[in-house]
Amino acid sequence: MINTENNPEPKNPLGIAGIEFIEYATSQPLALGSLLEQMGFMATARHRSREVTLYRQGTMNIIVNADPGSLSPSSKDPQSTIISAIALRVRDADAAYRHAIEMGAWAIQTRAGAMELNIPGVHGVGDSIIYFVDRFQDFSIYDVDFKPIPHAPQSPPAVAGMHFFGVVQTIGAGRLPEWIDFYQQLMDFRALPEGRYFGVLRKGTLLESPCRSFYLQLVEPPEDGAVLKWDEQLVRVGIGAPDVLAAVKELSERGIVFVDREPTKTSTRGALTQLYRGGISFELVISGSSVDDGSVAAAAEAV
Amino acid sequence: MNLGNFGMDTITLAGPLESKLQASKAAGFSQIMLWAKDLASYPGGLDQAVRVVKESGIRVTGIQVMRDFEGLSGALHEYKLDIAKNMLQLCKAVGAPLLMVCSTTSSHADADINLIAKHLAKLATLAVPLGVKVGFEALSWGRHINQYPQSWEAVALADHANLGVVLDSFHILANNTELDSLDDIPSHKIALVQLSDYMWRDIRSAEERLETARHLRVFPGEGTHSAELSEMLNRLDRAGYRGDFSFEVFNDDYLQLPPEIVARRAYLSAKWVTDQVLRRSLNVRERSAKHQMMA
Repeated sequence: MINTENNPEPKNPLGIAGIEFIEYATSQPLALGSLLEQMGFMATARHRSREVTLYRQGTMNIIVNADPGSLSPSSKDPQSTIISAIALRVRDADAAYRHAIEMGAWAIQTRAGAMELNIPGVHGVGDSIIYFVDRFQDFSIYDVDFKPIPHAPQSPPAVAGMHFFGVVQTIGAGRLPEWIDFYQQLMDFRALPEGRYFGVLRKGTLLESPCRSFYLQLVEPPEDGAVLKWDEQLVRVGIGAPDVLAAVKELSERGIVFVDREPTKTSTRGALTQLYRGGISFELVISGSSVDDGSVAAAAEAV
Repeated sequence: MNLGNFGMDTITLAGPLESKLQASKAAGFSQIMLWAKDLASYPGGLDQAVRVVKESGIRVTGIQVMRDFEGLSGALHEYKLDIAKNMLQLCKAVGAPLLMVCSTTSSHADADINLIAKHLAKLATLAVPLGVKVGFEALSWGRHINQYPQSWEAVALADHANLGVVLDSFHILANNTELDSLDDIPSHKIALVQLSDYMWRDIRSAEERLETARHLRVFPGEGTHSAELSEMLNRLDRAGYRGDFSFEVFNDDYLQLPPEIVARRAYLSAKWVTDQVLRRSLNVRERSAKHQMMA
């Protein structure tokens, strides 16, 4: 990006203000749904015409998209579950979309996503999409496409103050500078200094959103070549909690299993769930509560 | 002799794609530079062309060439951007890690270096999710950018990790560009080095330059600028460049000969190139481990 050296302060040209929803595409919506419920989410609404369900807790919205065709044909494993989209809250969705396109994003050709609403979006890593949502205050985008599930609470509270903290993305070996520039150019994300982490997964590089309320963690394949397959994709959702041990306790009581061995042993800093069916896991990271305008990062304990 | 960093260019070889791949592989080359038209004009279609390339086991150095991209505006910019996207998709399909962009010759293009840098950065961002790098080359008859220090200036200004310069010895020699400025380019910002020479010392007109470029190049070591090529190679080596070298040799005579014979000439040329560098002191190798390669 031009002139970044002299301009270290994020400009936030898109007016990003946190994550509105994260979408999973899956061929196993029941298994994923029950896992989400164990994680404290509740199914609150169903799509009017497609096999798509909205799960919520606190400020977090997760869309489970089981619509045939939601999994890309390039996805080799028919059983797989993938993180298929991140929707960002922005000041003006159309302006954000135009800015991203102007800076070198790929427009999504057809709306393969869950919404009937015309939510502008661009291609992210792998088969994923980055959506821009500006209607998150007085008017909910879900009101248009979804019907509330009868008797289900529409705004279930968060377990242990949990909120979105970020998303982990795998990248090809040696491709860190390219991906840093990608997110910086499109959305003015900034790389944190090397070695700065919040949770228990102390690897890769953290990119901070310009609103400083969430992070992308870019992780290269291990150097020992221990993995055979390492596609570039979104692999895990990070969830912030003000008291990680309290959150772990509550989630464990709900049946969630955490990895209890080094190097990702549960600590006050964070915790990692086991890998569930479909390749899904969640990471807990110590972080203050999420507020619309604000910065969970300020409350996060840098270690 | 390690040929790993050297590759031929399909433009040099006669015959169908399969023969080109086979001839260069048989001569000992493990990579080859493709032209988009190699894939587009393949009789069996793109998918089959991709299969032929992948089954050959030969690494694709990159795809050329995106022309007249930078400095445009309005509908023309949008149009060229669309073409560039298609080229990137072609790169992804065949597993090419590099898309080569030549400096524009268009009279519609703006000379503003900031705009040129911005457009290159935009293309570099577009290329990231596809796993393709963008290399920018100064064509010796480019309208605004025709010397490698200018292409480096644009690339440096764009400041994008997914963008580098492509150095082409023909264009450098044809414009008598000094070689000192090679020292200014960090080796990791060089995406590719294309090598060729030609048979006369001086190029007397723009027409002759174009004619020579398109029909009368020869392999390094065969032409009349061996001293300059040797200096260029040594400067690049001293600076730590350990990336790919591609022989971009347009030559009508070679197109009349069986590809095996021409590939043999390329092999001898690769040997000539390594000999130029090996003449240097032995401490060359000590530096290589720290170097980070671009391509």
